[in-house]
Formats: sequence, C-alpha cells, structure tokens
Amino acid sequence: MTFAVRLLSTLVIAISATFAHAQDKPRVVTANYPLQYMAERLLDDAADVVFPVPEGVDPSFWRPSIEDISAIQSSDLILLNGAGFSTWVDRVSLPRAKTVNTSAGLEDQFIVTESITHSHGDGGEHSHEGLAAYLWLDPTLAIAQAESVAEAITARGLAVDIDVGTQLSALRTDLEALDALAETSMVNLEDTAIIATHPRYQYLARRYDLSITSLEWEAGAMPTEADWTALADLVAQTGAQVLFWEAAPPAEAMDTAADMGLENVVFPTLAHAEGGRDFLESYSEAISAIAGLQLR
Amino acid sequence: MNALYLAFAYLRYHWARSLILTLVAALILFVPVATQILLSTSERSLLARGDATPLLLGSRGSQLDLTMAALYFSDEKPDPVTMEAVESVWDSGLGIPIPVHTAFASSGFRIVGTTLDYFDFRNLQIAYGRGLSVLGDAVIGADVAATLGKGVGDTLVSSPENLFDLDGVYPLEMPIVGVLAATNTPDDQAIFVDIKTAWVIQGIGHGHEDVVTVAEIAAGSEAVANAAVVQYQRITPENIDTFHFHGSQDDFPTSAVIVVPNDTRAATILKGRYLDGENPVQLIEPAGVIQGLVDRIFRIKSLLDAVTTIIAIAAFAAIGLAVFLSYRLRAREIATAVKLGARKGMVLRLLSAETITLLSISIIIAAIGASLVAQNAESWVGWLLSLGA
Repeated sequence: MTFAVRLLSTLVIAISATFAHAQDKPRVVTANYPLQYMAERLLDDAADVVFPVPEGVDPSFWRPSIEDISAIQSSDLILLNGAGFSTWVDRVSLPRAKTVNTSAGLEDQFIVTESITHSHGDGGEHSHEGLAAYLWLDPTLAIAQAESVAEAITARGLAVDIDVGTQLSALRTDLEALDALAETSMVNLEDTAIIATHPRYQYLARRYDLSITSLEWEAGAMPTEADWTALADLVAQTGAQVLFWEAAPPAEAMDTAADMGLENVVFPTLAHAEGGRDFLESYSEAISAIAGLQLR
Repeated sequence: MNALYLAFAYLRYHWARSLILTLVAALILFVPVATQILLSTSERSLLARGDATPLLLGSRGSQLDLTMAALYFSDEKPDPVTMEAVESVWDSGLGIPIPVHTAFASSGFRIVGTTLDYFDFRNLQIAYGRGLSVLGDAVIGADVAATLGKGVGDTLVSSPENLFDLDGVYPLEMPIVGVLAATNTPDDQAIFVDIKTAWVIQGIGHGHEDVVTVAEIAAGSEAVANAAVVQYQRITPENIDTFHFHGSQDDFPTSAVIVVPNDTRAATILKGRYLDGENPVQLIEPAGVIQGLVDRIFRIKSLLDAVTTIIAIAAFAAIGLAVFLSYRLRAREIATAVKLGARKGMVLRLLSAETITLLSISIIIAAIGASLVAQNAESWVGWLLSLGA
C-alpha cells in the first residue's frame, strides 16, 4: 500500500514537472511546414514549434480565427516565409519584435509573376505585383531561410542548451546534399517540357533549368472534363512529356494522364507535411521518381 | 488642562469667528503645499514620459512638435517619415523601432496607428475585451471610454481630414475590441489601431467590392478591374480578404518612430548615424526636449513661489491683526478675569491656548487637504496635461 502511494506520488510529481517544463519552453509559430521543419531541426527539443494551419487548408490563404491570432501573438517567435506567401499577415496585428521574415534578404532573387492592373475612383490605374512564394523548392534558398531562422533563434536566446550553429551546419549539409541529388536527377528532364497542376514550381524550375508550364488544378482532386481539355491543349502546345502533380490524385486521373502520353510525378510543394514524411524525405522521394522516369 | 478647556469653550461659543479664522489659516497653509505637490507631480509626469522614451526618429524639423505628436499625441503634425526608416533600424540590429502614426482623429481623440510592440513597451494592459487582432480593430484608452461612454462592441468613425476633399481619405468605421486600463498618461486619451489600419484610413490600403481576390493576386493570375470600384468604409469578416495595400511597405508613412536601443552603446551608434544635417530624418532624445520645455515652464514656478510667500506673509499678518484686535475687544473680559484673581500668566496661557488650538485645527485641515491632493495628483495632472494636448 505504502509502495503504491509512493509510486503514485512520484508519478504525479514527474508528470507535474514534465508539464511545468513544457510550459516553460519557448513557443515558435511558423507560416508553413518547411519553416516548421527548419525550426525543429535547429531547436531540437528546446522549443515547441507550431505550424497552426489545419490540414487541407492552403497556408497561403488561411484565415486565422481570433483565438489563432491570440495564440500567434503570444508566441516567442513568429517565422514568416515572405514573398507574399501568407496573405493573412497583411490583415492581422503581429508583434514586429517577435516576427521574422525569413526571406527578407532574398528579395533580389524573388520571381515576379504576372501583375494585376486595376483602378478605382479617380486614383488612376495601379498594379499588384505577384510574387512566386514557394522559395524552399530551391534548396539553396531553403538554406538561406534556415540561416535566417537560426539567426532569429540565436538573437532571441530561444535555444538555451542547444548549439544552433552545429544544428544549422547539419541542416545545411542535408540541404546541400538534397540540392546535389536534385541537380543530378533533374538532368533526366533536360530539354523536356513539363506541365504542373499548379503554379508552384517557379524556384525549382529556375534552380534546375526546367521548362514548366502550369495549370490551375485543385490539389488532390479528380480533374474535370474542362481540366483534361486544357491539359490536352497544353500538351499539344508544349509537347510536354511529364506532369507534376502537387498532390497525389485518384489513380484514375494518373491513368488518364498516362494515356495522354504523360509521365506522372507527384512532387509535393510541401507547404504542408506530406504523408507523415519529413521535408527531406518527401523532396528526395520526388527526385527519385524523376530520376526513374523513362522518357522518349 | 484648564486653560485648554476654557480656550476650547471660548472658541466654541464664538464658533463663527473661530471657523473663519481656522479656514483662512488652513487655506494659507494648504495652497502653497498643494501647488508644490501638483507642480512637482507635473514635472515628474512630463519628464517620466520623456525618460521612458529613449529615442525618437522623425523628419527633420521642430523637435518639440515631433515629441509632442509622438509622446503626447498632440495636434501637431510633423512631416511623416517612411517605413524605410523603421526597417533601417531593424536591419541595424541596434534596437527596436516602434512606428507611431498620429495623423488622424476620431471624436476629438487621436487615432494612434502602431504595432503591438507599443503595448509591451508602454506596459499597457487591457482592462476589458481583447487586444488588436485584425485590420480595423480599435483599442481605446480609459479616458476615451469614459468621455465617449463607449466600450467593447461599440464603433468609432475616423474624422475626415478635409471636408472639401471628397475624393480623399474615406472615414473608416472601426469596432472597439478592447479598453485599456488607466495609466494617467496620454495613452488614456488615445485610440489605438494597427498601423495598417491607419494606412487604410489614409487610403493606402483598401478593399474592393468585386474585382480581384488577394488569392488571385498572390497566385499571379491576371485580372483587370473596371474603373468605378466602391471602397469599403467598414472592414467586416466578409470583405476583409479583399483588403490590400498598394506599393512597397517601405514607402508607407508614419508620423514618428520610437526607438528602443539595445543598450547605451547601441544608442550612441544610432545617434551618430543621424547627425548629418542634410539627412531628412533626425533621431532625438525626447527626455532632453521635454526637460527644455519643463525648464521653460518652471521658470514661472519661482515667480509663483515668491507671490505665494508674499501672500502668505500678508495673510498671516492679517490673522495676527485680527487676533490682536480681538484681544483689544476682549479687554474688559480680561480685566474681569484679573479681578476674579487670575494672574497675568494665567490670562496669557488662556489666550495662547486659544491661538494654538486654532492653528492646530488649521494645520490638520491643511494636512488632510494636502494628502488628498497627493493621493490624486497623478490622475489630476494626467487630466490637466491632456487638456494641454
């Protein structure tokens, strides 16, 4: 009986201590999964890294609730992607001292997409410049973002028992290896026209000199008849042999694309984690799929 | 003991005369003490605001106007600086810049567009409701809430800058989402919004009825709007997603920037960067500016002290005369007391006891008054200073 009471007391104390420790940990909020991955790699277990966008919601266009905003505001560090990735940032109050734009130093490398021109009142015409935002699909830019994250963590003293420099070196090595692997594998796509189901691969295309034309399909959904027609037209125009799927579609969709003479590659854009795999695993898997393509 | 008893009986019998003498003496004692308390509290309060604001960045021009606009939210409108100045401080890593946009007002109170860092910097606490969360939210100071009788759930409308500028700044209706706890500082008199909301009031950011969604903008798909697009005057959950800003945020304006340097060395380096007279931006120490202003104001204080001293001497002389005359009037009464066997010492003790009792009661009344002033000095001074702004 006494032993049971002691055991129970010890358990209660241990749980309380664990809970208290968890409460003491700094909290880092990220705008997308790649930044969450980088922060987790750099901080190990020294902080709680949270990516608050629910599964199935595009983090670019997520609209946080007041509770979400309150939780974000109270965190110790808010890591943004920049390049216009999180449109909610323009409409939400964030503590600037805790907010870090991880691509602030990469502005000269941004890819400008098409502009939208309109006017209202007597203000004359003006333009909205669009920017490609999926920077991390170029591993060299991902390294730059990771460096920015490491700097923010160090500046705020969030990693007490961790050498962030060592963690960053390991992450940089992994990303450089990924880049080298991608460079080798993408040779397979040299002089090959590619169609992507969504315009997300601008930085990937630039890094590995790929020719990618984009559609505007819904990720993971079965394409409509109109979608197939648009794809057929695009194939005819570009002579494309490869189709990049942002997310795995129904098997039937892949079969239809194959019937049109296209090689299917699921290349997740990784704004969310995919299928329980981490950033490097998902990216490597897509590269391996490309390396294994048998093109005409 | 007998002398005190008789003196008190005499004063009670002549209660009207005793009351007037007591009140006059109490006032003579109270006024200089209360003035001193209020003036020193004002000085402390003015200087504290300056001392609590290490550095202030703004366009080159009147340092006093810049300080009054950024610290006291006065009606002065210094030329704005761009957010590029804010970013340059961030990039330096030498301190935290906090923009303060004070160009607009609502219901007679200044709208202060800033970032959440301002609330941490000034240690402002929410008494009711919540803090700023989304575009359009407003958090009001305690005095604004009390004066306008408004609270969480009510709305405020920004005042148009120019009644004749029909195509200019559109008034924006802002929901009040929080009320700040009183601080007895100019923050009690302010309406706080996110600086992005201030830019919406300014027309830099806006929403459209049915032109292009932000999603389409970010995705880079092309869309051309027709010309006459109605601008919203209210940001709602239904239209908030259509709100967007034109141009680079670096070019957007702010009235001033509070700079909180990391340490003394960082402050010195920062100050050195803005010494060039050709630089359109200046970095000042508000404490020095306020000290100069306070020194000027408090030169009047020495004059006031002299006047108070002269009046006090004159008043005490008048009381002395009144007491002396009352003794003359009581000559027969004193003679009767002597005939009854009272010695001269006894008579002197009786008269002294009356005077001491009167003065003691006056001192007690003056002390109570002074302690009341001391207790409320902070809030009264805060109110008085806000009248000035």
